[in-house]
Amino acid sequence: MIAQGSTILPSASDDYARDAELAATWCLGKEAEASNPLRRGVAMYLHAAGIQAGYTFFAPNVPNHHRLTFELFYDDGRVEHQSPQVRSKAAALRLDTLLDKLADERYEAVREVVVKMLALSVWRQHQDVKKVRATFGSVNPPDINEFEQGKRETFQPMFSFDFSLRDGQDQ
Amino acid sequence: MLKLPGSQINAGASLVQKWWQSFCRFLFPSETDTWLAVLRIGLGLQVVVYALFLRSDWHYLFASSGKGLVAREIGEAISFFDSPFIPTLGWLVAIGRNFNISEEVVLSVTWICLLSAGCLLLLGLFCRSAAIVAWFVHLCAAESGGLLAYGADSLMTTALFYLMLSPLPDRYSFDHWVAKTKPKNPQALGFWRRVLQVHLCFVYFIGGLAKCLGNGWWDGSNLWRSLIRPPFTFVPPDVLIRFRYVLPLLGISICLLEVSYPIFIWIRKTRVIWLVCIVAMHAAIGLLMGLYLFALVMIVMNIAAFGVVSNTATPQTATESGAH
Repeated sequence: MIAQGSTILPSASDDYARDAELAATWCLGKEAEASNPLRRGVAMYLHAAGIQAGYTFFAPNVPNHHRLTFELFYDDGRVEHQSPQVRSKAAALRLDTLLDKLADERYEAVREVVVKMLALSVWRQHQDVKKVRATFGSVNPPDINEFEQGKRETFQPMFSFDFSLRDGQDQ
Repeated sequence: MLKLPGSQINAGASLVQKWWQSFCRFLFPSETDTWLAVLRIGLGLQVVVYALFLRSDWHYLFASSGKGLVAREIGEAISFFDSPFIPTLGWLVAIGRNFNISEEVVLSVTWICLLSAGCLLLLGLFCRSAAIVAWFVHLCAAESGGLLAYGADSLMTTALFYLMLSPLPDRYSFDHWVAKTKPKNPQALGFWRRVLQVHLCFVYFIGGLAKCLGNGWWDGSNLWRSLIRPPFTFVPPDVLIRFRYVLPLLGISICLLEVSYPIFIWIRKTRVIWLVCIVAMHAAIGLLMGLYLFALVMIVMNIAAFGVVSNTATPQTATESGAH
C-alpha cells in the first residue's frame, strides 16, 4: 500500500515500504518455490485462520466502484444491454467484490476467463444471442460539491472483450 | 573484559523471571466460560444468517464451470497455487463423485451441513463437532468462491477457527446440561480469550493506521464515497449532504477510534467507551451500508473479547477443573 504510493506518506518512504514488503514476503515463505513444504504449510495455516489478507477495509482510501455491462447482439440486429445477475443482495455484494478484484492487476491473469464465465452466465438466459461484447470499467463518483452542482458518476471504460458464443469461439 | 558482580547477574535474572511471569499471567489469565458462550451463540447466529442469505444463490455461486456465475474452479486454482492442502468445495465434490453423488447434491448437503452446524452452535449441542463443521464448510466455500469473498469471510473464518480451538462446551450449552461436562480449565479459557483480544487489537490497529494514511478519511470524503458507492447506497445522497459538516468529524473519529483501540480497550476506565463506540460503528456499517454479516461478526467478536465482564475464576474452581 505504502510502496504503491497510495498513502499520504512522502514518496521517500516508498523504498522502505518496498523493503518491508519483501521482508514480510520472505517471512511468509512466498519467496520459496511453490512446492516448498514450508511455504505450503504457512499458506495453509494463514488460510485456515483467515489471516491470509490484510485488514485494510476501505483504506487508505475508498476505491472506485467497477461495472461490467454486456451488449447482446441478436441475429435480427437487435442489441440489448445486460449485467451479470444474482438473486439475493448478499450475492450481489459478492459480485461487486468480484468486479472490484478484476480491476486489480494481481488478477489480470484470470480477468478474461472470469469475464467469459460471466458472459456465459448471461448467455444461458439469452441463447439466441449471436455475439456478446463485455465492457468493464471504473465508475468515478462525484465528490460532495460536484454532486450539489448536479454532476453525477462517470464511467471510464478499462477494457472490453467480444465473445462469439454461438460457434463457441471468442475474440 | 567487563566482569559483572554476582548480585547484578542475580538481579538481572530475577528481572527476566518477573517479566516472564507477568507475560505468562497476561497470556493465561483465569477466566470463566461466559465469553465463550457469547462467541458460540454469536457465531452460531452468524453461520445461520450466512447460510440463509446465500440460500437462493448457493448453487449458482459455487457450481463448476458452465453451470454457475463464475466457475468454482478458478477460486480453487488460486487457493491450490498457494497450497494444495487448503480445503475447498472441490474436495467434497470429488468425494461425492466416488459415491456417484452429483455436484448439485453435494452442494445441497454442504449447505444443509452449514446451516445445521450454525443451529447446533446456537443451541450448544455437539459444540465442538458443530464448530469444526462450521469452520470447515465455511472455509471450503470461502476458498472455492475466493474471487467472490470479502472481508467478512476472512473474519468469519478467524472467529470460527478460534471457536473450534477453544475449550468447548461452555456451561450455558445443551452439551453441558445433557452430559454434565466438567468446567474447563480457567487458564485455557483465559488463553483463548486473550488470543481473540490480541487478534482484534491487530485488526483495528492495522485498519486504523491504513485509514490514517489516506487523505480521504481526514476530510470526510471517504465516508461520502463509501456511502454513495453501489451496492452500499442505503442512504440517499441528498440526506448525506445535510450532514456534510459531520462527515469529516466522523471520518477522523473512525481513524482515531481504530488506531487507538489496542491502547484504550485494555484500560478499565476507557474500555466501555471504546467498546460502545466500536459496536456502534459496526452497527452503523451494517445498517447504513447493508454489510450485515461483516457488522455481526465484528460485534460478536468484540463483545466476546471485551464485552463480557471478566469474572476471574476462584482458585477452588481452578483446582476442581484440573489441568486442561
